[in-house]
Amino acid sequence: MLPIVKISNLDKYFGRLHVLKNISLEVPEREVVCLIGRSGSGKSTLLRCINFLEEPSHGSIEVDGVKVPEDAKGAERRKLIHDVRLRTGMVFQEFNLFPHMSVLENVIEGPVIVKGMDRKQAIELAEKNLNHVDMLWKKDEYPMRLSGGQKQRVAIARALTMEPRVMLFDEPTSALDPELIGEVMNVMKKIAFEGMTMIVVTHEMGFARDVADRVIVMADGGLIEDSKPEDLFNNPKDPRTKALIDRYRAEEQ
Amino acid sequence: MNMFSKAQDAPKSQAELIYEAQARKERKFRANVGLSWFILLFILVFTFSGQSFTIGSITFGGIKIDTEFIANNLAFIAGGLGETIKISLMSIVLAMILALLAALGRLSTFPPIYALSTFYVSLIRGTPLILQIFFFYLALPQLGILLSPLFSGVLALGLNYGAYMSEIFRAGLSSVGKGQREAAIALGMTPTQTMRRIILPQALRFAIPPVGNEFIAMTKDSALVSVTGFAHELMWRSVKVGRAQFHTLEALIMAAMFYWGMTLILSYFQNVVENRLAKGDR
Ligand SMILES: Nc1ncnc2c1ncn2[C@@H]1O[C@H](COP(=O)(O)OP(=O)(O)O)[C@@H](O)[C@H]1O
Ligand SMILES: [Mg+2]
Repeated sequence: MLPIVKISNLDKYFGRLHVLKNISLEVPEREVVCLIGRSGSGKSTLLRCINFLEEPSHGSIEVDGVKVPEDAKGAERRKLIHDVRLRTGMVFQEFNLFPHMSVLENVIEGPVIVKGMDRKQAIELAEKNLNHVDMLWKKDEYPMRLSGGQKQRVAIARALTMEPRVMLFDEPTSALDPELIGEVMNVMKKIAFEGMTMIVVTHEMGFARDVADRVIVMADGGLIEDSKPEDLFNNPKDPRTKALIDRYRAEEQ
Repeated sequence: MNMFSKAQDAPKSQAELIYEAQARKERKFRANVGLSWFILLFILVFTFSGQSFTIGSITFGGIKIDTEFIANNLAFIAGGLGETIKISLMSIVLAMILALLAALGRLSTFPPIYALSTFYVSLIRGTPLILQIFFFYLALPQLGILLSPLFSGVLALGLNYGAYMSEIFRAGLSSVGKGQREAAIALGMTPTQTMRRIILPQALRFAIPPVGNEFIAMTKDSALVSVTGFAHELMWRSVKVGRAQFHTLEALIMAAMFYWGMTLILSYFQNVVENRLAKGDR
């Protein structure tokens, strides 16, 4: 079966800093992958290379059959990147809702402007997804008046309304007050169980344990471990993984 | 239950008392400022009333102004009000367009565009406004560009203010966080769509209060256009009748009152807009 995301020999430099080192990774359809690792290990950069918020220095990215080869240039490359972005949805740590638009306007912006979807049809789809994250009742509110958890749920609905093939989450609950983490995690679980392919950078070990099919550990720009959650938590292979898990456990108590 | 209802009549809480004391202090301050304004205004009027008074050995003589002249020429000078507003409005619109283009030019990675933007701002900010007004008035016809003198004034004012206001739009653009751009790009928006739909609306909103300030300043700088002698706005009219009838002082006082009144009204509206923006929901 064709993987939804296929990363081949990816390298990323920021100036002289070698942030991603020859990374290859395949994520099949319907799989939920959690990406964990210490701060600065390159998790965000890897995620952002998938939808080209960061330009890879070397290597190719393929999403849902659309391959952006390393040597694609100019207009052809821009077209391919655009196609990749249409197939990926991203959720940011800081939500990044558009503050000058209401909740509903935030959610229909992508379909209407990017896909040229009929406004009425877009509203229908948006309302369905807002209902799904339990935010339909706030559709006319402006983001400023929402709690962090509510903002993040709207951000998830905004990404879903583009009907992506894979959802990328970059620490979606790290900017939230602890009591608001649960509502966002529950929405993410719901989407996962419905079969969405997901790559999630997170510190929430509970989510990794309960929802993920695979947990990948990053360190120093490489993938040092890639296992089923139960294996990873019960007998980590790499000492760095063990140290990481012990730290998370200590934090949770 | 009884205890609760009693608590309602109980003396006010500490916080309430502090709040009330503060509110009282603020009201008193504002009342005193109002009174002082009134006194200052009175002194100003007195100065031009022709009255004099003596304290000890010093005599203060007021300036005697000719009220008949004022009454006779009020309508003529007031007739310049519309022209002043017209010049200011046209100039501020031109200035906003130029300022936005210059600010966007500063973000360009295409050297000629970046250069054009910085060249324009540097040249205009490096020379006096009054010189620019003369220059456009004199130079444009020699280039074969025949604008009405009014438009050459508007062009000079617009170009001048545009250069200064580019800074406002630059600040507006950089006030929009990079997360906004990333969210738009992640949705698949092109750079143009991102700018038009996401960045600009937020940047322009940020720029509204300072642009209001510039407009108020513009209404007064529009007086400089009178030097060309062809825009019959407030300043030109007051100088004209003042000179003709040897009552320049009276004429200038009248113009000053019009400018001041205009500024007060515009400042009021600007406050209203600013307060509404500060509230946040559009
Ligand atoms: N835009 C950038 N410019 C320069 N260095 C960066 C940039 N983004 C990230 N880095 C560096 O790359 C490394 C990996 O960062 P990141 O992918 O954000 O790690 P993580 O998400 O795992 O915390 C860090 O050392 C970080 O300082
Ligand atoms: Mg990160």
